[in-house]
Amino acid sequence: MRTAAASRLHALSIDPDDIPDAQPATGPRIDAFPIRFTGDGASYLRLWLVNTALRIVTLGFYTPFARRKTVQYFFGHTVVAGSPLEFVAPKKRMLFGFVMMVLLLISWKIAVESGQDTAASLFVLGGALLAPWAWGSAMRFRMTATRWRGVRMQFAATWGEVYRASWPIFLIALAWIAFVFAVDHAIPDTPPGSPPRMPVKPSWDALAFPLGALAVALLTSLFAGARLDYNYQALAVARCRVGNQAGRWKLRYADFVGLWLATVGVLLLGVAAALGVFFATGAAAVFGLRAGGPSTGGLAFVVLILLGLVVGGLLLVLSSAPARAYREARRFRMIWNQIGLSHIARCKCRLDVGRYVRLRLVNLVLTLITLGFYLPYARISEYRMRAESVTLFVKGGLHQLAGQLAREEQGLGDALADAAGLGLIT
Amino acid sequence: MSEAVPGPAGRWFDGSTSRGRPVRVDLLPGARGPSIRLVPLGVDSGRSAAEIAPADIGWPEAWSAHHAPSVLVIDLGPHGSLQVHDVVGWQRARTLAGARPSLATRMLTHWPVFLSVLLVSAIAVFAFYRWGTPWVATWLARQVPPAWERSLGQRSLQGLDDARMTQPTRLDADTQARLRERFGQVLAATAVPPGQKPELQFRAGMGVNAFALPGGTVVLTDGLVRHAGKSGLGDEALAGVMAHELGHAVHRHGLRMLIEQGVLSVGLGLVLGDVSNLLALAGTTATGLAYSRRHEVEADCHALAVMRRAGLPVAPMADLLETMEQAQAGPAPAPASAPGPANAASASGPTARSAPSWEWLSSHPATPDRANRLRAGNTQGC
Repeated sequence: MRTAAASRLHALSIDPDDIPDAQPATGPRIDAFPIRFTGDGASYLRLWLVNTALRIVTLGFYTPFARRKTVQYFFGHTVVAGSPLEFVAPKKRMLFGFVMMVLLLISWKIAVESGQDTAASLFVLGGALLAPWAWGSAMRFRMTATRWRGVRMQFAATWGEVYRASWPIFLIALAWIAFVFAVDHAIPDTPPGSPPRMPVKPSWDALAFPLGALAVALLTSLFAGARLDYNYQALAVARCRVGNQAGRWKLRYADFVGLWLATVGVLLLGVAAALGVFFATGAAAVFGLRAGGPSTGGLAFVVLILLGLVVGGLLLVLSSAPARAYREARRFRMIWNQIGLSHIARCKCRLDVGRYVRLRLVNLVLTLITLGFYLPYARISEYRMRAESVTLFVKGGLHQLAGQLAREEQGLGDALADAAGLGLIT
Repeated sequence: MSEAVPGPAGRWFDGSTSRGRPVRVDLLPGARGPSIRLVPLGVDSGRSAAEIAPADIGWPEAWSAHHAPSVLVIDLGPHGSLQVHDVVGWQRARTLAGARPSLATRMLTHWPVFLSVLLVSAIAVFAFYRWGTPWVATWLARQVPPAWERSLGQRSLQGLDDARMTQPTRLDADTQARLRERFGQVLAATAVPPGQKPELQFRAGMGVNAFALPGGTVVLTDGLVRHAGKSGLGDEALAGVMAHELGHAVHRHGLRMLIEQGVLSVGLGLVLGDVSNLLALAGTTATGLAYSRRHEVEADCHALAVMRRAGLPVAPMADLLETMEQAQAGPAPAPASAPGPANAASASGPTARSAPSWEWLSSHPATPDRANRLRAGNTQGC
């Protein structure tokens, strides 16, 4: 195994400073283990179809089992140093969390649709207060359920640490509440019963206050969002334990601010490009309609508006896609280039951001064309590119990990995190 | 208990360290599936064998019938995990020990099993949405307190008024009084469920339209009354419309639609959301429209029965439906049929919106069919 790993190093052209190729005279040896992914689109498509069919038959109650199988597929095909990752979450806990989640969702829907504003606001408030708890218990659940060579991972952060790391959430909420108050303040009250008046002429003085509040809220969201991202990621890595070894975290907040600002830049570029395309086609279509003469009016105009809505929606998705892929790729590379496990392991990541963004765009278009049926292939190809970009360097052999008894977690936090869109795989 | 089945060699990671121990894996058949016995090999061979109960074992999935993975990992719960490289030997031992693959596994490895389950699931979904959801919605709507239903209807109308989508009526007092009399006549022939207090209201705006609100309020628009007058169709046509709208109220279509839409959006979103949100949206919309068309048929049936009981003709209402469609198909811009937020809680009027070939895209059955059925007094499907 060691010779194989060493010979692979040449092919990967890794910085020789990071990893001595030959056995050095002094110090312990370092082995390189490129992470391999052995899954393929066809077999995952089959699993995905089976999961979908079983979820339909069971009216959705197969969902937690489907999630478990999916994670097991990805983990089981992710091979680290000859041994795949293991996902061993207890089925009963995942089912319990799922049922609780569905009940919450249904009561929230009923509260909103029947206009019970008090109940709906209570839900929103409770959701905000419990968000850090949901994140923390999802991390605990997921890490406890993850093993490698029988040794469990563990998320050792206390609830105090989780809530202290969550302060940006509350700052963002405050900024937006302030914005709502500013808008409320700027619009003059109309006595109830009198017909609502349109503001005759919005003066710049009256607009300056709410616009300023909007700018403050947006900037707060950006910087506090980056801070939250940083805090959580730092906590997830630094308080992660694999057996008797703790995770190592070296990144700074500035790294994350840089990443978020660059993402905003890419987003603005994408939106500008999409708007350009939208207006160019719109103008062309209107000219075409004029040339067709008045007889084609009416219906053609309606069709044109419908078409415009569809194209606009697609462009909205497409224009933000490069920014999302860019952020994901750069964030992944940044984190996996720095991550380590106490003094025994380091990771290096060679993910090509440009290639990843291109892959995501191609996948997105193919998924849209196939009405979603390309999704399994898209997931596999993106996961493969991410996973195989990482190489693990281990000092002193792989046998030093000692397991520790970890407390098992309820599955509710995981179901909540899943509902909030925190994917385990992506 | 029968004989132990000797299995392949493996490495046992017991969870205390990442160092594996060489073992031979034997499988012991049992009533609740096979258990595993790990017999130490090599330097450890002197130590005693460990036995793992079926409840602690997570059997690895056979992801595909053709591609065996290079290494299998068996989850031993609190006893760590077991790695086996001889996948074929492992499968043979498992079969010999009496392990039966689960349905999900057989679906992954056998196409016929997969296709059968797919067929069953398609039938199950169809039955659930065709009969299950409407039945549940009808039952649930009956449990809702009438006062709450009335307040829902009042709030919907208030919402329309506040949004200036409807304005105070501009019909003269005579016309209003005449139509109210007709309404009383229709109401007298209607079996009103306890708690509902049907009343007639007039509003300007929203084009040629009529709608019923939860709780029993029926609203006719000025546009509809004028249109009936202009087409030379008297109050009898409008009486038919009232009977139709009262049908929506009596059958609690507003509430039922609310519940049906809730089940639809949660259920289909859950099942199809992972496949594609577009597909989920399309499924929700198409099914919601199908429910709406069935509500219209139910209301038409109600109108037929009530008009017959009141001794009034139904043909004028059928004529009204047809002239309305002609007016819409003409060169004049179509009246705004308001799909506003409040309309979600109300059952919308007899306005037909689409050509027959697109019926499945429409909230109402095709107008010519409806008119013919009304004229013929056809109670098929009632």
